[in-house]
Amino acid sequence: MIRLEQVSKSFGALTAVAPLDVDVRLGETLAVIGRNGSGKTSLLRMLVGLSRPTSGRVLLDGQVPGAREWRRLRAGLGYMPERIDFHEHLSGQKTLTFFARLRGVDPQAVEPLLESVGLSAAGGKKVGTYSKGMRQRLNLAQALLGDPPLLVLDEPVEGLDPQGVRRFFDLLGHVEGRTVVFTSHRLPRMAVRVDRICVLSGGRLKGLGSEDELRQRVELPTRVVIYPAQGFAPRLHEALARLSSVALVSENGRFVVDVAQTNKLSFFTAIGELSGSITDLRVEETPVEEALLDAD
Amino acid sequence: MQIDVTWAIARKELGDRLHNRWIWTVGALLLACALAVAFLGAAPAGVTGLPRRGAVMASLLNLCVYLVTLLALVLGAGAVVDEKRRGTLDLILAYPVSPREYFLGTFAGHFLALAIALLSCFIPTGVVLGLAGVIEVGEYLSLVLLALVLGGVFLAVSFLVSILSRERGRGVAASVFVWVVAVFVFDLALVGSLLAFPGRIPQTAFSAALLLNPADVFRLLGFQAVGSAASPLGLAGVVPPFPAPVLAVALLLWAALPLLAGQILFERRTATDRLI
Repeated sequence: MIRLEQVSKSFGALTAVAPLDVDVRLGETLAVIGRNGSGKTSLLRMLVGLSRPTSGRVLLDGQVPGAREWRRLRAGLGYMPERIDFHEHLSGQKTLTFFARLRGVDPQAVEPLLESVGLSAAGGKKVGTYSKGMRQRLNLAQALLGDPPLLVLDEPVEGLDPQGVRRFFDLLGHVEGRTVVFTSHRLPRMAVRVDRICVLSGGRLKGLGSEDELRQRVELPTRVVIYPAQGFAPRLHEALARLSSVALVSENGRFVVDVAQTNKLSFFTAIGELSGSITDLRVEETPVEEALLDAD
Repeated sequence: MQIDVTWAIARKELGDRLHNRWIWTVGALLLACALAVAFLGAAPAGVTGLPRRGAVMASLLNLCVYLVTLLALVLGAGAVVDEKRRGTLDLILAYPVSPREYFLGTFAGHFLALAIALLSCFIPTGVVLGLAGVIEVGEYLSLVLLALVLGGVFLAVSFLVSILSRERGRGVAASVFVWVVAVFVFDLALVGSLLAFPGRIPQTAFSAALLLNPADVFRLLGFQAVGSAASPLGLAGVVPPFPAPVLAVALLLWAALPLLAGQILFERRTATDRLI
């Protein structure tokens, strides 16, 4: 659908995005994960044609888009920028009506859209009276105008609590065949199903693929926290040390074991035999994007 | 270019500008000054013994030079960079809207707001002057039309200044500087050159130099348009007037060229992330 081929972006001496290849496939949900200054927004701006790459090229359906192709793409694109100050003297309704006219969408579609994002009651009120959450929903609403097949959302859940994140993605819904690209500092796993993850750090691509693919590539260990039964700590420590594991650390009366993916099965089998000396255990899977971001 | 998209942007900008109290404040000031001119006659011109109609029209012409230009310059000073700072410019350009449509729509909206503010001043003033029998309708309508064009010229200049300045504060400061130069400094510099080099500056060169200042072009065209043998006001009074078509073309070029330059610069800078 859209392919960025060896694109980079520099602002003078500052390299915001080093040359990289990223493609957005039809119908997928792609999460672009990275810390502040990683180049997420710069990448998104090149994706939607707001910013010209310093080098490389953007391909749309295999072609370098001219002005007409960009207009065609944008007719089917919903973009939600990270920061926007809507004019406060306008109502939510008038704001959306304006944007509807820009996309050639019937202004009659505004009311149902306001209702779908939970702003029906506030639609007639000035945006200046809106809370942060309401403005975020208004921002989402303008992106959803005309039900575009491609949604590009820049930090859509920034500043929201976990409940707010889940509510946001519930509002977004899942439309079969719709392509969604969003950026975030961390992957909201519990709130949205993501097909692929693109991890950026310092403007460089650290990983692009499904979570399983990246996990295998990084060979990320599984962390197991084991709580020994009373009096069994020394014997348990000895037994664990004999098992094939990545690392064993004893801290605060518990054992933290990093187990290689290839050894998981044998490790848990062995743990089962030691169950008499264990009161509790907890399994933690390190988020793959954090592992990639930390691997500098 | 899609006219409906450009018009949608123009309508929104018009609403935003009319919602701004500042434009109405300056418009009220303009109205107060114009009515003062209307009621006091030749007094503001400081000239006695001249036909009242001529003095009133000349005073209104000068009022336009001072206030219409300032209103237009400050109105447009932050036109583009404000939207960039808010994030709405990027959002709008992510829609199927070209930079050209956005730029021209924004200019059109600002111009309409300026026109409404000016007409809100000139219409009541015209009614007062008409009832007093001081003006001729045709002359007054010509003045109003020229004032609108003058406003358009300086609005176009302010848009260009806004894009070149990249920041609102700098844009406003630069616009005020342009106003000071156009309204005061330019003519003083020409007078100064006459005094510094007496008899050495050809008349044609001097006349041509006046075309470099749209405020002077407006004055020259205004004197011709109102058909008044008004007292010489400003430098434009000491030289023979150009033919009206030449002046009209010059004034329109003063509107078109900054607007075109601003549009080209805007398109280039939005594409390369160098707008601010």
